[in-house]
Amino acid sequence: MTTRTADELRNKQQMYYDDVSEGQMLPTYVLGPMTPTHVFRWSAAIENWHRIHYDQDFSIYHEGLPNILVNGSWKQSIMPGYLKDLCLPDGWMWKVSFQHRAMIVPGDTITCWAKVTNKYVKDGMGFVELETGMKTQDDIETCPGQGVIVLPLKGGRSIPYPFVPPQG
Amino acid sequence: MTQQQSYLTDELKALIGQEAEKVEVTIWGMEKENLRRFVHAIMDPDPLYWDEDYARASKYGEIITPPIYCTYLNKTRPGTTDPISVAFQRNPVNDGGAGAGSGERRPGALPPLRTPLVRNLNAGNDIEVFKFPSLGDRIFSQQKYADIQERVGRDGSHMLIVTNETRYTNQKGELLCITRSSGIRR
Repeated sequence: MTTRTADELRNKQQMYYDDVSEGQMLPTYVLGPMTPTHVFRWSAAIENWHRIHYDQDFSIYHEGLPNILVNGSWKQSIMPGYLKDLCLPDGWMWKVSFQHRAMIVPGDTITCWAKVTNKYVKDGMGFVELETGMKTQDDIETCPGQGVIVLPLKGGRSIPYPFVPPQG
Repeated sequence: MTQQQSYLTDELKALIGQEAEKVEVTIWGMEKENLRRFVHAIMDPDPLYWDEDYARASKYGEIITPPIYCTYLNKTRPGTTDPISVAFQRNPVNDGGAGAGSGERRPGALPPLRTPLVRNLNAGNDIEVFKFPSLGDRIFSQQKYADIQERVGRDGSHMLIVTNETRYTNQKGELLCITRSSGIRR
C-alpha cells in the first residue's frame, strides 16, 4: 500500500518556500507492509539476480540473514521519489544522500520522513535543506540522510527545467 | 602490538580521479513498457510517468521517467552467453549477485581494485538530479573513482572507503544525474 494515489498527485497543491520553516516535519509516506512479492517485483524490474532478495533458503542458511532483504537499490529510488512528490508540481528534488544502516525485511512497514533543517533563497529560488530517513514500524532508522529540495517562492519565478544549480 | 600495514597503496592512490570510458547503457533507448514495470516496482502512481495528456500540460511537456531510473539500465546485451548459466556452472552456490556476471569486465567498468580487502559493504549513496530522462532517450554513463580513503576501526582493523561517481547524460550531452556510491572494503 502507498499513501498517495495518481489523482492525489495530479491535484497536488504546490508547497512554497514560504510555507516551510526550520524544524518543520514535512508530510510522510508509508509503504508496506513489504512482502516477498514486492521485493521480487523490484529485483525482476531491474534484473538484479542476487539471491538474498528472493531465495529465502539461500538468504537464511547460506548467508546467515534473517530473511530475504529489501534491496538497497530500491530504497535508493524510493527516497528521491518521495522528495520529488513533495516538490510537485513546480519544485525540484535536487540532492539526496543516505546511508544504509539497517536491513528491511518482508513484514516491515516503512515510513519515509523529512525534517527542514535550513532554508535560504538564491537566484530567486527557495532552497530547503532536509534531514531525511526511512523508519520501520519498530522506529528503527534504516536509511538516515540529508537532502536539498528547491521550491518556488509565492509570486516568484518558476524553478527552471532542466534544473541549473546556482553558481557559488 | 604491531602496527598494521596501510592498505592504501600508491597503486590505489593513483586510481583516484581515474575515469572509465563513457558507454551507452541503453540497448534500445528509454522504453515505455520497461518504465511501466519500474514505476509499479517503486509504487509510484505519478501520472507524469504514463498519462500523455497530463504530462504534456505539465512543466515538463512530455512523459518523464523517475529521477534515477536511468541508473538501472546497464543490462545483459542480447546475444550474450547467458551469464547466469555461466556463473552457476562455475560455482553451484553462486550468490547470483555480482557473481552472476560472465566474469569478463563490462565496458565502462572501472579497473578492479587490487587489494586483499575483498568484502564490500554498501556505505551510502549520494544523488544529484538535473533532468528527468525522456522516453526514447539514449543514456550514457561514465564512472570515476572519486575518492579512496583508509580508516582504522575500533578493533584496529583497516578498511578502505571507496567512492565511485557516475555521471549520466543523454544523446544531446545533457547532464541527467550524478550518483556517488561509497563502499567499505574490509
